[in-house]
Amino acid sequence: MVGMTMTAATTSTTPVVGFDQVSKTYGSVRAVDGLSLQLYPGETVALLGPNGAGKSTTLDLLLGLKQADGGTVNVFGTSPREAIVAGRVGAMLQSGGLMDEVTVTELVRLACDLHPKPYKVADVLARAGISQIADRKVNKLSGGQAQRVRFALATAGDSDLIVLDEPTTGMDVSARQAFWATMRDQADQGRTVLFATHYLEEADAIADRVLVLHRGRLLADGTAAEIKAKAGARRISFDLEGAIDEAPLRGLPFLATIDISGQTVRIQSTDADATVHALYGLGVYPRNLEVAGLGLEQAFVAITEAEEAKQSC
Amino acid sequence: MLNTFATRALIKLELARALRNRKFLFFSVIYPSALFLLIAGNADSKTKIDGTGLTLPTYMMVSMASFGALTAVLMGNSERIAKERESGWVRQLRLTTLPGRGYVLAKTASAAVVSLPSIIIVFVVAAAVKDVRLDAWQWLALTGAIWAGSLVFAALGVAIGYLASGDAVRPITMITYFGLSMLGGLWMPTTTFPQWLQDIAKWLPTHAYAALGRSIEQSQTPAAQDIAILAVFFVLFAGGAAWLYRKDTLKA
Repeated sequence: MVGMTMTAATTSTTPVVGFDQVSKTYGSVRAVDGLSLQLYPGETVALLGPNGAGKSTTLDLLLGLKQADGGTVNVFGTSPREAIVAGRVGAMLQSGGLMDEVTVTELVRLACDLHPKPYKVADVLARAGISQIADRKVNKLSGGQAQRVRFALATAGDSDLIVLDEPTTGMDVSARQAFWATMRDQADQGRTVLFATHYLEEADAIADRVLVLHRGRLLADGTAAEIKAKAGARRISFDLEGAIDEAPLRGLPFLATIDISGQTVRIQSTDADATVHALYGLGVYPRNLEVAGLGLEQAFVAITEAEEAKQSC
Repeated sequence: MLNTFATRALIKLELARALRNRKFLFFSVIYPSALFLLIAGNADSKTKIDGTGLTLPTYMMVSMASFGALTAVLMGNSERIAKERESGWVRQLRLTTLPGRGYVLAKTASAAVVSLPSIIIVFVVAAAVKDVRLDAWQWLALTGAIWAGSLVFAALGVAIGYLASGDAVRPITMITYFGLSMLGGLWMPTTTFPQWLQDIAKWLPTHAYAALGRSIEQSQTPAAQDIAILAVFFVLFAGGAAWLYRKDTLKA
């Protein structure tokens, strides 16, 4: 996590996006709660989190569609609106309705006309993989096709930052793969790409940095591999007979947390296979052994709690 | 510079879409002329409408041209804005260089382009079928006055579009539309109304709108009261639309 930020910081000191203590409240719900983060040029960043984690609100704040109650949002050193008017941001919204009764080409042409640094309409269509449906009416498209049209609107011009809110919603597996190939092309051209998703696999396959959002707070920030290791945490529990020698148990590899109460030992491990293997290596005889997966959210909460506990010691 | 270009690009597409929508074209372009023929069809060209000195076809021509323009701008704005607000298209447009007002402007401009033929077709039908004769300046002034006056109702359409949503927008639009058309005397002269209704009708923007056209037919200066009524309603509708628009922008 620290390593990633350092690398990015050395390649460029000007963040593409800067959130400083940003909050947004709806009634009594804190959708975004004191969020601070920076995105750097050329990064492909996944905003990962379960539904209701505050992903869409975060993107809306970034794009100037919503105003923060507290804190500041910076895009290319200016306000979101100024960055959009300068043509530096292309965005695709999750529920972005389209103008109906017009053809795909007409809509994409409009997007090109509205961009200060537009690409050729034919190129935009080809890159989004919608040349075949160019003459079709927008309201006659399937869910996946409509997503591709939205993607075309987001990439109609030479923007420096592409923001995508759950872009593969409504796509089947092959459409998803094709979509991410297109997306990778965008990143390869040196653009900063930020996308929201609740699929860890997507974040893992595409992003070189993953931000995990939970209840409007940043829970983790690191490379996909780091996040994956954390999210891969599993829960191991077993009983031991007789007096328990705690020291070797606490020395087991890949432990995130360990809790020993009475004869029962509960462990959260980032590599359950290795931990269990080492456990038998201690020469003990664990009974009622259970190994269970933790959900993404649960895993992160557990890990954060463990880290907070460590820091307070 | 760019922003005008952006707005123009949207106007172009809005227009292409409006001209492709047969239902919309029928109601705003053909329907007023058909209604004119229906009402004025059997009237001879001699009978005068009480207190105006105008024949029924001449009188109804202004009413129906006004009605057609009203249809085009009111319907064109209210339902589409409400629908596109709900679908998220308005949000998507806010992620472009298009200035906030550009969207409303494009809607109104494309509606105005449709309302112009609707006015002219009523005039052509009236002149060809019912022998309505006016001076050249009167034809031009009529076209200009009815076209410009329709802006009042375009603003109303925008306001309704930002006020209502979902299933509510159509009934609200229809009630406003028929209420203003009938009570304002676009379908029949208000002189046929009972006195109490006439007292209400004369304050309606549609009444002032049609009166404006009729004063041109009568070669008279438009009544100050009618111009004032239209101006006040325009400020009211446009102000309301601007306020509702800003509220919607903050909420989205």
